Amino acid sequence: MIKSKHRLITLLVLAAILIIADVVLTFFFAPLVKGAGLSEPVVIAGQLVENRLLFSQKIFYLHVPVAIVSFAALGVAAMFSLRYLLDRDHAWDMKAATAAEVSLVFVLATMASGIFWTRFEWGVWWVWEPRLTTYFILTLLVLAYFVLRTNIDDETKKARYAAVFSILAFIDVPISFFITRLVPSSIHPVIFTSNSGLSTSMLIPFLLGLIGMMLLGIVIYQVRFALHSSKLRLESIKLRYEALSKKEKLARIKELD
Amino acid sequence: MRQFFALLKKDLLLEARSKSMVASMTIYAVLVLVVYGATISQTSDSFNIQQVAPGLLWALIVFTSLIGLNKTFEHEHEEGAMVALLLSPMQKSLIFLSKFTANLLFLLLVELIAVPEFFFFFLQTAQVSGQSFLLVLPLLLGSIGISGVGTLLATITQGAKSSNILLTILLVPLIFPLLLLCVSTTSMALLGSNLLDAGFYRLLGMAATYDLIMLAAAYGLYEFVVSP
Repeated sequence: MIKSKHRLITLLVLAAILIIADVVLTFFFAPLVKGAGLSEPVVIAGQLVENRLLFSQKIFYLHVPVAIVSFAALGVAAMFSLRYLLDRDHAWDMKAATAAEVSLVFVLATMASGIFWTRFEWGVWWVWEPRLTTYFILTLLVLAYFVLRTNIDDETKKARYAAVFSILAFIDVPISFFITRLVPSSIHPVIFTSNSGLSTSMLIPFLLGLIGMMLLGIVIYQVRFALHSSKLRLESIKLRYEALSKKEKLARIKELD
Repeated sequence: MRQFFALLKKDLLLEARSKSMVASMTIYAVLVLVVYGATISQTSDSFNIQQVAPGLLWALIVFTSLIGLNKTFEHEHEEGAMVALLLSPMQKSLIFLSKFTANLLFLLLVELIAVPEFFFFFLQTAQVSGQSFLLVLPLLLGSIGISGVGTLLATITQGAKSSNILLTILLVPLIFPLLLLCVSTTSMALLGSNLLDAGFYRLLGMAATYDLIMLAAAYGLYEFVVSP
């Protein structure tokens, strides 16, 4: 127990260092991305600038890693769900639910950070643009997973139904991803800079952020999983205690003294 | 196959005698139309209803289908017949197929009444294109997908706490891609754009693919849902 605690703290510290390094590099190392051309060149900080510099693009180094982890956690949850359906071992269900919890945390963080960027760059808080729509649907699916879990009392049924829904949702997300892009809409497509190759100075902070967020996800997963396991153990101890007769209880207390 | 038809016949017979599902769905559809009527009565003359009609029509279908889907296992649940169904020596996925077929038939029947009503109330004066009849294709593909995913989810939610709202919460995000395809193709049919250029059949193909994938997944997962 103590050993795993140490390992967790080490992981957490590592994740924090990586994420902080990501933020620092993002602001002091990664170059600004050039946006649309300005009407006339201006001199900023001694440099001739011809394009609008997209400072808001900095969000990329945090927002995208978080989004990737949210997808990964969802995939892990679906995988554990499949294992549960095949093995019927409740540990897999607990793992799947915990992975879904991690996914929820990262989904909400992605939504929150994304919405500010949308407001800043597009001038509105929300547009029904494919990327946003897909992600919104994904958020609703993750939330629905938990609504389903809380609404079913029978533990076995809960596990089974949640597993089935998690797999369905996992199939649905890529479909939704492609279809929202293929259906024509009245909104003009948003044009992103066509040259999307990342230079080293951009790739490094991005990867640091990605690994850091992954580690953070693992830490959250393990903390939650330990919590769920303890809850289960407490439950079984309670039941066993209630099954003891008064005499046995007294004997047990004496033993402990 | 005989077992499938026996199960289907049972559901259809029950419905033919009680008419509870189709009746409540139809009345619900009419009520939604009344709400639409209140909304549209407040618009100005320049308002072009054709642009929102496909979306309104699909909102009507989704919500009406939920009324029926919620009742999928009503009889089984109330009279404990689910146990008998599960005990009978047959493939569990046959229950899915028969319930799906029954739900699909009921939904199509209600659409047969509700869609003309929708046209009657809102699209009489609108300039509807000559190829509007093609909207039966998205209607069919949409109904198949909604009934397929819905039947699986209705099995999950039956007996759960607040099962009605639970089914809605699970179903709507899952069928969203299909809904988007259906609204898009319906509006192409209604507005009379050049169907081939606009990708009408390509989008319908995608809707059919969605139906296939989701039905296969639901069929495969059904065994896990009902097995004790």
